Amino acid sequence: MAALHNHSSLRQSSHPLLFVLQKSSTREDEPRFGRLSFQNRVPMDTPHYVAVSSRGVVPHLSQDMMRENTNIRAMYTALEDSSSTHSAIPIVTSLGFGMLEYTNYVEAIQKLRPDVVLGMGDVLFGHKPGVKRIDKMGDRTLVWVKELADGMKDEENGTPRPALFAPILPIEAEQQSYYLDALQGELVDSVDGLVLYDTASIDAIPKTLRHLPRLSLGEMNSPHKLLDAIALGIDIFTISFITETTDAGIALGFSFPAIKDTDLDTPLPLGVDMWSPTHATSLSPLRSDCLCYTCTNHHQAFLQHLLNAKEMLGWVLLQLHNHHIVDNFFAGVRQCIQNGSFEDERTSFEKTYTAELPEKTGQGPRVRGYQYKSEKSEQRKNPPAYRSLDDRKEKLAEAALPSPSADANDLEQQGFAEKAE
Amino acid sequence: SAALKFEIVAKCSTTKARASILTLPHGPVSLPIFQPVATQASLKGLTPTQLAETGCNLCLNNTYHLGLKPGQETLEKVGGAHALQGWKGNILTDSGGFQMVSLLKLAKVTEEGVRFLSPHDGTPMLLTPEHSISLQNTIGSDIIMQLDDVIATTSPDAERMEEAMERSIRWLDRCIAAHKRPEKQNLFCIIQGGLDLEMRKVCCKEMAKRDTPGIAIGGLSGGEDKMSYCQVVSACTDLLPPNKPRYVMGVGYPEDLIVSIALGADMFDCVWPTRTARFGNAVTSTGTLNLRHASFANDTGPIDADCACTCCRPEEEGGLGITRAYIYHVASKETAGAHLLTMHNVHYLLSLMGKVRAAITEDRYPEFLRAYFRRAYGDMARVPTWALTALKEVGVDLLA
Ligand SMILES: [Zn+2]
Ligand SMILES: [Zn+2]
Repeated sequence: MAALHNHSSLRQSSHPLLFVLQKSSTREDEPRFGRLSFQNRVPMDTPHYVAVSSRGVVPHLSQDMMRENTNIRAMYTALEDSSSTHSAIPIVTSLGFGMLEYTNYVEAIQKLRPDVVLGMGDVLFGHKPGVKRIDKMGDRTLVWVKELADGMKDEENGTPRPALFAPILPIEAEQQSYYLDALQGELVDSVDGLVLYDTASIDAIPKTLRHLPRLSLGEMNSPHKLLDAIALGIDIFTISFITETTDAGIALGFSFPAIKDTDLDTPLPLGVDMWSPTHATSLSPLRSDCLCYTCTNHHQAFLQHLLNAKEMLGWVLLQLHNHHIVDNFFAGVRQCIQNGSFEDERTSFEKTYTAELPEKTGQGPRVRGYQYKSEKSEQRKNPPAYRSLDDRKEKLAEAALPSPSADANDLEQQGFAEKAE
Repeated sequence: SAALKFEIVAKCSTTKARASILTLPHGPVSLPIFQPVATQASLKGLTPTQLAETGCNLCLNNTYHLGLKPGQETLEKVGGAHALQGWKGNILTDSGGFQMVSLLKLAKVTEEGVRFLSPHDGTPMLLTPEHSISLQNTIGSDIIMQLDDVIATTSPDAERMEEAMERSIRWLDRCIAAHKRPEKQNLFCIIQGGLDLEMRKVCCKEMAKRDTPGIAIGGLSGGEDKMSYCQVVSACTDLLPPNKPRYVMGVGYPEDLIVSIALGADMFDCVWPTRTARFGNAVTSTGTLNLRHASFANDTGPIDADCACTCCRPEEEGGLGITRAYIYHVASKETAGAHLLTMHNVHYLLSLMGKVRAAITEDRYPEFLRAYFRRAYGDMARVPTWALTALKEVGVDLLA
């Protein structure tokens, strides 16, 4: 499961967050522009996304880079879930697999004090629940959400309780009606937002809860999918495709509203594969109109080199650029909702860009994903006092051999050495 | 020389330590200095902005690596290493010789250069002093190093050692002749001769005659005992002209740096501080701490209470206020954890160099050495013999 840490101020007496929708929706499915305000935090305008973090880090980004060079307003930290027993769901943690008892979740939340806590939902991923299971889903989720709401009442003086986002289950409204009634009844003062696992569940949201912010945990693997969900009235997203494209060596390259090009014969790609050797000597930024740290300080040739040389900085620079593109995309979306041009621009976006992100061609970061392999042995607290230094050995450990495919002609052309008689 | 200005600001009245300003094409560098190693035009995930924030204005790139990737042709089109990596400070490149000899298949040193077989088809190939200089000219580094014939100092073969020393002198002459941009790039010679002080003396005299803008003491830091290391450094600095910067290659432990400075050395480089960060090790004023140890899991103190780096500085002072517990949590799991420790370790060594310069300038370097070793070891009797001996020879008796 998950908690949201808002980074970046206002507070009502009973609710820890204030969500104001600028346009009061008259229809069920309409894009919404809102402002989410937490006590002591910079407000976040919606629609927006929360950066998906791993151990409290947005992959590849040290905190100074994130603070100075991104507009990341909130981070999503997962404790993770998949299927469940009566009182617990299996989770993947930094320590490996284990069962998360909901009581432990409540304890963890009391310690971590995130701004937003997402209620545990009894949700199956990857396959459809059977009839018997469906009957239990609402009941279990209700027990868990109540427990969480009770656990958070128990706050110390002065510290605001985390905002609680309750799940809307990805089943029909009638199938979870008992649970939904409770959300509108006894839980109404405890619930500050809703979590959706599937955009379609928006139909299950009762009328009296429509003013609450909606966070989607659904699979949004392209900007088109985001626009579809925004059109239906989702406010906040967790987007995994940003880090995925970064790890694939792809520089995102779309904007909303889409650039107007009347001569467009074929749709524009959503991103550029930086592994392609065509960038090797290009002194242009990743995208000519981009004002991100990477594009204002570096060029494509450097990115190419870093990817080729498997240098960590390559992922850092791509991650900064890709977050910037998505930041701007959401800023554009909000503006278009406000000025009423969202639907037209959405149509034009669909026509301008390809539906899918480019295929990955290169290798990802050195160890799968952005994480190092955990070396299990516990390290000594203090390594042995400075021994005789073998810097040459250390330098060699850092050095790479020429690639086995590099033949004499390549090496000579590169200027590395010459052919000898 | 045209591309370098070296001014001594202060000399320690007891030891051989000096504080100086080395002005290079990309700005002045205060010596003594530690140079972090950005092997492939990038320092372990740090951006050039972050590197500059550690106080660094001179870092290393590796000629061998840049020759392989992106290669001379690309470097030429891009306009050299500064343009490639967006680095506005100075760059020093090593000759890449020893990596080639150590890594390339059947690499063999001959008078012509380093012979090896291309990895793909086994074609015999040759890397010459002229090649190394041509590559470094394309890289455009502010300081370039001669190709030398390096033998492990621990090698028992005195004859081969002498051959390597003499060959390194001949290769220096070829490097000087091949160097096309002396007005923009400074070629440093590299003193060889293993642990044999007589051979080192011969090499110092011969190379000093060539009047290169700077001088490196090479072949050390290959696992030799530290007593011998100190003797070689001290013997060389006694013979080298005082008006040139002296660079001891491959040195990076804090106490090795401060002792070498007392022996008259000015510049150092080492991969250890940045490499060790990857394994969760933080260099601090009380030694190296492995922050992956469970005892740090709940330690909410900064990595080093005296450190003013971006990580250690509290949030009120514009820093990140990173705690040991946080590093424990992310070290060796998230690359960003390594970035934070790399920033800290580089900043720590550069700030140590700043304190050294201040102590030399105010002529209190012996007191600085005493305070440093007392803090690190508690009891002076626990200071390693090599350091006690080396410092005593330059007039600082830690046990007195
Ligand atoms: Zn950009
Ligand atoms: Zn620090």
